[in-house]
Amino acid sequence: MKIFYLIKEGFKNIWTNRMMSLASVVVLVSCLIITGAASLISLNVTTLISKISDDDQITVYLDYDLNDLKSIKLGSQLSKISNIESYSFYSRDDAIKQYEEILGNIYESMQDDGNPFGNAYKVKLADLSEYQSTVEEIKKIEGVSSVSDRSDIAGKLTKLNYFVTIVGSWVVLILAIVTLFIISNTIKMTMYSRRYEISIMKSVGATNAFIRVPFIIEAMVIGLVSGLAAAGVICGVYMPVRTAAASIIGFIAESTFTVDQLMLPIFAVMSAVGVLIGLIGGSISIARYLNKEGGEIIGW
Amino acid sequence: MIYLENISKVYSNGTQALKNISLNIDDGEFVFIVGPSGAGKSTFLKLLIREEKASSGKIKVGSYDLMKIRRGKIPYLRRKMGIVFQDFRLIAKMNVYDNVAFAMRVTGSPERIIKKRVKEVLRLVGLEGKEKRKPNEISGGEQQRVSLARALVNQPDMIIADEPTGNIDPELSFDIMKLLVEINNTGTTVIIVTHEHDLVKEFGGRIITIDDGEIKSDQKYPARYHKTEANKT
Repeated sequence: MKIFYLIKEGFKNIWTNRMMSLASVVVLVSCLIITGAASLISLNVTTLISKISDDDQITVYLDYDLNDLKSIKLGSQLSKISNIESYSFYSRDDAIKQYEEILGNIYESMQDDGNPFGNAYKVKLADLSEYQSTVEEIKKIEGVSSVSDRSDIAGKLTKLNYFVTIVGSWVVLILAIVTLFIISNTIKMTMYSRRYEISIMKSVGATNAFIRVPFIIEAMVIGLVSGLAAAGVICGVYMPVRTAAASIIGFIAESTFTVDQLMLPIFAVMSAVGVLIGLIGGSISIARYLNKEGGEIIGW
Repeated sequence: MIYLENISKVYSNGTQALKNISLNIDDGEFVFIVGPSGAGKSTFLKLLIREEKASSGKIKVGSYDLMKIRRGKIPYLRRKMGIVFQDFRLIAKMNVYDNVAFAMRVTGSPERIIKKRVKEVLRLVGLEGKEKRKPNEISGGEQQRVSLARALVNQPDMIIADEPTGNIDPELSFDIMKLLVEINNTGTTVIIVTHEHDLVKEFGGRIITIDDGEIKSDQKYPARYHKTEANKT
């Protein structure tokens, strides 16, 4: 088989059937943009939430009369609680120092015995969804006076993360199915418009591979072009949208991906998905006609 | 050689198109298959080119047993035959040259050989100088000549023509038939399905009449344009 001839035919077919090719590219680009944008939004929101969660520390206040040595020793009991990812000692001196400027002249009098604060620990949890049970465990440690209650924020963040992950996955999945459905119909339409040509090829003794290769090359090239175009549009739109969002909510700029970070993966994934859709869609659609003969192909 | 023994064809909807047909067609014969619409003529051709498989019986074309042939071998069977259709079946986006060359490209022939051979057959069917025209830029008669050239280009053992003059003027029909006779004179088997009795009478040869799925008659008539006659015209 003359493989170069067949590859050349595949490329030639794109131009010869340019209106159908253009229609396929437009449909594919639209579907890839929608699916890609949904994935990107989901990815960024998840990152944003995890960033917010990272900043979320709880404070464990120790008994006022617990001296420094005993307070530091208490840290070893915190390390035994599995859901505690990390903890750091926050001394009463550090606590009063925070208020140095506000207190002004009376700051000096509040040193040592005059310090109203007790020692504390800043604790970061591994899993926010187990916030309540972990706090209960911490409270059981002798010497712990109280724990800052941020269960409300923890709960909300957990719910939001869960919502974004689940909803995002479903949205992307549904869009991917819709995309495949639209693309498979577009390819079917293309094949239908070429069924006459396929029947002629078979009548002059073309093997199935000879008929199949140019069609699949054509579908893969259309997929690749669509993938690149969709990636270009997404990257082009992403930058201004991110800038605009950051101007409203400042920390978005630090907590989301930059175009430079995403450009290569977006182009790589979109091109690969486009080529794969072309390969699978083209192979399935052409197989339907290759199993038929003559008039059956044309529908007579 | 074509060999059929007790061939029957029943379609999935229950229609019996052919009933116990038996016949032999020798190499180099010129055969008309005639009969009214729905008689089973087209089914007969479809069985020969293996577009359809017979329901029962034995059918052989050359060295191929069409009851046992594997799907992957069917294209090679078809390369041994040139098929001409009533509706020409040319690829609209290809010019005359490419429509003919295409049948050779399918077989993997080198471009150099294709160029030489396509030029020869286009001269044979009288289409020299029209290589660059698209099918819609030439007449119906010329389109059928392109179809004939495409059927001939791989030097097949037989030409199978399904109503080759059905879509063209009577005068042009006569020219197409003369071309088929000339091809037959080179030793190629020619099988023509037609309902145009005038042409059949005019050209003669072996005439097989099919009606209601059965062979009603199989007779030889004087072949008026064959061999020496064809050379004179």
